[in-house]
Parts: sequence; structure tokens; C-alpha cells
Amino acid sequence: MDFQPTLPIPISFISGRYLLFSIDAVTYLRREHNTCGVLIGTLPQIPQQNVFLGLPLELMPEEARLLVDKGVACIVDEAKAQKDGMQSLLEEDRRQYLRELESQGLQAARIVAGRKEQQKEDYFKKSLEKKGKKKPNVQSKETSNGDPTASPTGPSTANDEPASLGDFFAGDSSSSRGTSNSTPNPQHTYGVTPTTSYPPLPHPSASSDAILSRPDVPLSYPLFAHMHTRGYFLSPGLRFGCQYVAYPGDPLRFHSHFLVVSAEWDQDINLMDIIIGGRLGTGVKKGFLLGGPQKEKPEDGSEIERTESVRTFSIEWAGM
Amino acid sequence: MADADEDVINTSSAGAAQMDTDLSDETQDFRLLSHLNFLNDSTSSSLPKRGEKDFEPNPTEFQADVLSASRQAMHNALAHPRIHNPKTWVIGFYAPDGPMPPPDHVDTAKTAGKGMGVSQDSCVYIPNAKGSTFQSIGQADRWNRLWLLPEEAIYMLERGNLDIRWPSASTAPAEDEEDDISIPMSLQAAYSCFMGHAGLTLERYSVYAALRRLGYTVLRAPAWDDSAKPYNTKTEMDIDAYTQPTHRGPGLGGILACISNWMSDPFSTASPAAGPLVGCGIHRSHNDVYRKMALIPWYDPALAPQKDPLDTTAPFRVVLHVYKPGTVIKKSAIPPPDFRIAVLSTREQTTIPTLPELSALLQSTPLDPPRGEKMERMMYMRVRHGYRNVVLAVVDQGVTSFLRVGDAAFGKEKLFAAKYAPRGTKKSGYSKPKR
Amino acid sequence: MPSTQTAAPSTEPSALTKLIETVSASGNPVEATTIQILHNLQQQHLWTNMQLHHISAPETSPETPAVPVLISGVPPHRVYTHPDEQLYMLEKGIREDDLRPERLFVIPTAQNQSWSLRRMASAFDAMSGIEFVEDKESLPEVDVEMTKKLDQYYEKREEAIATKEWGSTRMLLAMVDKNMGGDGTVVYYVVQEGEVKPRQN
Repeated sequence: MDFQPTLPIPISFISGRYLLFSIDAVTYLRREHNTCGVLIGTLPQIPQQNVFLGLPLELMPEEARLLVDKGVACIVDEAKAQKDGMQSLLEEDRRQYLRELESQGLQAARIVAGRKEQQKEDYFKKSLEKKGKKKPNVQSKETSNGDPTASPTGPSTANDEPASLGDFFAGDSSSSRGTSNSTPNPQHTYGVTPTTSYPPLPHPSASSDAILSRPDVPLSYPLFAHMHTRGYFLSPGLRFGCQYVAYPGDPLRFHSHFLVVSAEWDQDINLMDIIIGGRLGTGVKKGFLLGGPQKEKPEDGSEIERTESVRTFSIEWAGM
Repeated sequence: MADADEDVINTSSAGAAQMDTDLSDETQDFRLLSHLNFLNDSTSSSLPKRGEKDFEPNPTEFQADVLSASRQAMHNALAHPRIHNPKTWVIGFYAPDGPMPPPDHVDTAKTAGKGMGVSQDSCVYIPNAKGSTFQSIGQADRWNRLWLLPEEAIYMLERGNLDIRWPSASTAPAEDEEDDISIPMSLQAAYSCFMGHAGLTLERYSVYAALRRLGYTVLRAPAWDDSAKPYNTKTEMDIDAYTQPTHRGPGLGGILACISNWMSDPFSTASPAAGPLVGCGIHRSHNDVYRKMALIPWYDPALAPQKDPLDTTAPFRVVLHVYKPGTVIKKSAIPPPDFRIAVLSTREQTTIPTLPELSALLQSTPLDPPRGEKMERMMYMRVRHGYRNVVLAVVDQGVTSFLRVGDAAFGKEKLFAAKYAPRGTKKSGYSKPKR
Repeated sequence: MPSTQTAAPSTEPSALTKLIETVSASGNPVEATTIQILHNLQQQHLWTNMQLHHISAPETSPETPAVPVLISGVPPHRVYTHPDEQLYMLEKGIREDDLRPERLFVIPTAQNQSWSLRRMASAFDAMSGIEFVEDKESLPEVDVEMTKKLDQYYEKREEAIATKEWGSTRMLLAMVDKNMGGDGTVVYYVVQEGEVKPRQN
């Protein structure tokens, strides 16, 4: 869990967006750098829903920029890296990699077979218990209990002799577990679709020509960085009609505190927008946080100076 | 205190927590996921309830433990591998140059692409597609290979239903042709190679995948290509949809006829230029009076000009056609979609759409007036349904909101003439959108 | 509404009448806004000891100050209690009504008035420069035990102000609806400098 990835972590720049595919990088950035991103992919184990999503993880340009500025991450032109990488991959490496995948597939096949056995075993144990309680009525209950098993191991004959059931199943399950562990059938090797391309591709080096410059960020970046420095976790704000939603800790555990909107120091703000934000926030037990850097964006663009000059205001309905 | 409404907001804030019960709105506690039994895979297994969250961090060990458990569960869920059971293993091949005939038919290569009856945007083919998952996607060529569009390819790979291989040309040349050393594409490789290909943006893909996951069938609409223009640029007569309440024909002639009618109306005692609206003639019903008072022009969406879906400007154009789950779609005769979707990214489109932008988008959708017994009976449903409609999918850095925009016709609802005048009951009304 | 039916000829004009007279007499829109909000605080929300604080522009700037005047007064009940302060009070068994009424500052604004972060910040900066003496006369009578608790509370609050753990500098932003056809409604929002966690009730 407390895995430490090689730094800088490569962030894939794909079609103008910043994505992460490595689960270790995602976990690490969440734990050590308060960076959550948004999961946008389908979870293969439960693909028919939108509540729990999987990799890749999309980062806001602000998040990517902050990580690059901290020296934690770098931006990789992923399409180029993939294409060049595959072309320069030696045949030996490829064979090696395929062998690796095959052994993973074999392992997967074993685990799946093992789990199936386990389930079967559990099921029989349960139905055994049931039957044990209702010994006198075994014959009448037999059909209702035996039907859903649809088991290929042929325990149906055993139902005729309830007394020997326990022994029979004990022997049966242990032997079948043994076979699945010791003699894996190579025909049943599973195919594997890896999540990332590293390996077989080598970790991109800082000198690689696929490394891109720091991400461009919107004018709201100084406020983003200011809040992040203070330990807040920030998410895109679309759901609450603001720029960012700020959480006092990991959003896995905590409710958000602020609806965050950034403005430039002399930017005209419609007072009505402050009222709307304050009212919306109070309605969902959150504060409306308005802020921005006192320093206007200079031509040379020192975001650090701008971030240091940020002032913020928390707004709630007064209730009067 | 100051006014009743404010008190309502304050007291209802307790209920506000339950207001948004859409689970996908909040970051989920992945611990709940581990309670689901994947292997039983009765796909309809009920979703877990929202996890309990705290207001703020405190230095207790209990809280740290719970957070750590949540993170571990999330890690485990995300680390779940994509594996292919040999019985259902489907292999596809990446074709970076688009649809091509098989290598042993290279002689026909001159007719490659266009002659194959396959979209030029396709980039993956499956020589031997099997299973129900591939029924509603892709296009078959005459060698019975199924060609997938980039979004279809990523989605199928992401679900764990498809193993896509790098073409051998992208890897170093193989010494032995017989020896299959084609490398499987990773999820990362698929995103890198297919995203950005043929108009596929991450936002469009997010919307596509979100709907597919829920069981909708999603097809590209004609306006998918941002640069596509209508073939025949015949400019339709711009009919003025702003209508006087009285009947009139289209165009300027209609307006003139309308005015002359008005002037020559023998029963009218009113002068349009000056004087009382209703006048002092004999009015036999209230409806006559109301009709005379109806001065303000109103917009009739039914009269708005129909635009070619291609005669629009990105991002305000329909890029996806969506069908409800269970719709039978024959690839030869595609039915009209249930929903039309335009996809917006908050980082490119930072302002609320203007009225001209929305009008142009709505006019590119076909007329879909409220129909049915229920619509006839319930005025607010009619107004809400509108005469044309489109769904805006707004994507903010991976977070998607769907908004339905309907072209409502308030002017068509003559309250004074209504048989069942809407009463003050808010039950049928539009006062509280329920979620 | 103040009733005029029983009014004797010598009676003072009603508060509303006075307001209308003053506001229309004043040609300055900012002043009119200020008077209107002051009146709303006094008459609708029953604030007392109202004061106006005119803010002079910094000498370096030729411009008029962003917020030329602030209002302050004492509300009959507490308007804002920080969540942690509330928790402390709950633990000690102190009710809000046991506490000394506090002076609160108000930024008067009108809808459609031009506004910016600079203006907001300048109002806060101006407030910190204003000196005022808290009047302690209207303290409610309490027993010895409560006096002790309250002393502890006031001590704790001094600390909390320094550490900002019970929130920071705070003001009310008042906005009056003065548009064409506006009904003169005034809305009040608590504004605090910095990130102050929201109240949960």
C-alpha cells in the first residue's frame, strides 16, 4: 500500500488532457500530495454502472501543473511515447514480455479456478448444513435444494445417502482443489490486457523527447495552489456550479467545506453572484469561498508570486 | 425571519443532504464495493449505499484507520485485472491507417477503404467476433471482419471484453511470420492511440462510455465531424417564428394580412395606434377580451425554421444519437434516436450558451411536439416537453452533467381558453424539480 | 407599518417617513444606500447603538475609497457563531443569550453596484483600522457560577481571536435591491477573511 513510485511520475498527455494509468501512482499522489483527480474509466469487474469508476484518472491541468512544479511528476506526450517505444522494442524484450503475460494469465486462470472451487465448496457446505437440520425430510427437500447447484461434479447421487455426505464432500473438494493448484492446464491460460505500457516500455527518462513542458493553467491557478498548500483536496466544481469544490481531507472520508470561485483582483464581480454563491453554499451546508491573487498576471507570469498574494473570503448566508 | 422563503431554505437544509441521492455525485467509499461479490456476477446486484462521511479530519486513530481502509479498498478495486477466459476471448487488431483489406487480398487494395462499406474512422478490426457484446457495435466488411470506431474499441477493451493487438508494423519486424509475437495493447496504449483519432475527444468518449455503461445504444450523429457542412446549401426561407396571437400566414405577407384584418375588423372598436386596447364595443365573452389584450408577440417553436444538423457550429451541434436500452437497431435501417446529445467541455466553453447558440442547436433537431393523452391533459408537462429538444452533456474535467433543453411554447397555452385551467395545485406544476 | 391613525398633530413623523425624506434629500446614491440599510437594520432587525464610520481614502491614492462608509451596530441576538465556538459553549453550558451583545460591522452595497475583490479587501482593511469602545452596560444579570464560566469564555475567546480558530475578521455584506421596480429588500451575508469552515446548522 505504501508503495513509493519512481519520481517524477509520468502523467500521460492524451488529446489535450492529463491522465494517469498506474494504480500505484494514483494511490501515491492521493496519499502524499492530496491529489485525487477524477476516475473516468470502466471497472471491468462491474462495468454496468456509473457510481464506481476505474482507471484512467483524469487530472485537472491545475493538478498536473502543481505536481510538475513540485518535481513530483512530468508530462509525457503519450501517443508519441507509445509509438516510438513500440518501434524500438527489441524482439527479445517482446518475447520476454509475452512470456511474462502468459505466466500472469496462467496465474489468473488458477485463481479463478480456485475461487470457483471455493464457492462450490461453500455452497455444498451450506446445503449440507441445511440438510443436516432436516434429515428426516431429505427426500422431499431434495429437488428444491439440489436444483440450483447445477454442479458438474455429480453430487446428486450422494443425496441418496445422507449419512455419508460429509465424507464424500470433504474428499471431493480437497482433491479438486489440489488438482487446480498442482496441474494447471496450459490450454486454460487466460489472456491479459495490461493497464499500462510500462513495462514493456522503459520508464520515460527526463531527457526523452516525449517529455512536454509544464501545463498551461487558467487564471484561477493561484487560488487553486493556495488552497492546495493549505491541505485542501480540490475537485472540479461543475456539480455545484463553482470552479472547485474544496474538501478538508480525502473526499473518500469527508464532506466538502467550500464552493470555490476565483477572480482577478480588479475583475468586476456582480454582487448578485456573491449572493447566489452564498445562498447555494448555505443550502448544502458549505461555505462559498471567493478569492484571488492581489498581483495581476505579469507578463513573465510568476505563478508563485501570484499564489503567495492570494486573499480569500468565506461567505455564508447570515440568516436574517 | 425576513421572509418566509428564507426560512424555508434554512430549515430545509437538513433535508438538503438527502436531496441529491444520485450516488455518482459524490466520491464513493470503495469499501462498499468490496462487499459486492464480483464472481456471482448477477449484473443486477444492487448498488451499495452511500458511505458515511465526516465533517472534518480529527486526530483520532479510528478516523485514520477508516480512511486507510477506504483507500486500500479503492486500490484493490482499481487494481482488478482485465483477463480473458479462453472461452470468450476476443482478439482485435489495431489498424493505424484505417480500414484495409486483408493482406492476402492486397490486389484489391486500390479500392481499399471506401469500397469496404466501413467507416473510414474505424481503427480496430476483429477477425472473429463472437458474443452478444459485439452485436450492437461495429461494421462488418466483406471478409466478415468487424471494424470498430475508436470509442467502441476503447470501451470494449476497458470493459475487459476485447484484447487488441499492436500491428506487427508498429513493432520491430518479426523474423518468423508463423511465430505470433503481437503484443497486447494496454489500456494506456488504447487511450493514447485512439483518443484524438477522427474527432474523438475525451469528453465525447466520457459521455459515450457513461451512457453505454447504463445500457443505452450510442451512435455517432452526422454532425460528429466538426468541419462537416451541409451538402446543398439551399437557404430556407427564414420564417419568422415570433408570432402574433392571431392566425396568420408565414412571412411579411402574413403580417400585412394580419394588420389589414385587424383594421377591417368590423367588431373592433379599438385603434391599434392609440386608444384603449379592448374598446367599448359589445363583448360577449371574456375570451374576446383576452384575445384583444394579447399584444405581445410570442415565439412559436413549431414555426421555427428547420435547419440541417450540419448547418451548426461546434460545440453546439448534435454529435451523439442515443437509443433507450432494449431498442432493436438494424444496422441497415437505423431508427430515429430517442435522444440527441451535444457535448460541451467546461474548459473550452466557459460561459453559459447564448440564446442564438441554443436556438441554432434546437433548430437542427426535428420537431418533436408533445403528444399523447397525458400531454394533452397536463399543461405543465406540455410546456416542459417543448416542441424540440436536445440534451447537453457538460463535462468538467471528467465530471459529466446532462441537461435537457426543450423549446417551450408558452404562447400556445391559452390559459383563458383552457378547458381544465391549471389550478394552484403545485403537484402537477413545475415548482419543485424532483430528483 | 407604523400607524398614523391615532397620531396627534404633535407626533413625530414615522421612521419610514423620516427615511423617505432623508433618502430623497440626499443626492448621493452611496449615502442613500447607506441610510436605507441603516434604517433596515434599526427598524426590521432591531439593531441598536448604530454608528456610521466614514473611511478616508489613503493619501497615496487620488481615487475615492472603494467603500466610503461602514455601518456598525449591536444586534439583539448573535448573528454568527463559529462551529468550534458553538461546541465550546455547548460543553460549558453557555447559551448565546448569556453573552454580552457584540458590535458587528456591515458593508452597505446596492445591487448592480460595481464590486471586486479589491473592494472587499479594502472594506476589511478599513474595518481593522477603526477603533471603538465596546459598551458593557446592557449585561444581563447572572449568578456567580455563570460569571465564572463567562470569564473563562471571554478569556478563551481572546485566544481564539489571536489564533483565528473561531473564525477570523468578519463583517456582514448587506445588499439592497434598488433596481427599477426593486422592492428595497435587503439581504445579509456573513463574510470572513480566509478559509473559515461552514456552520453545520
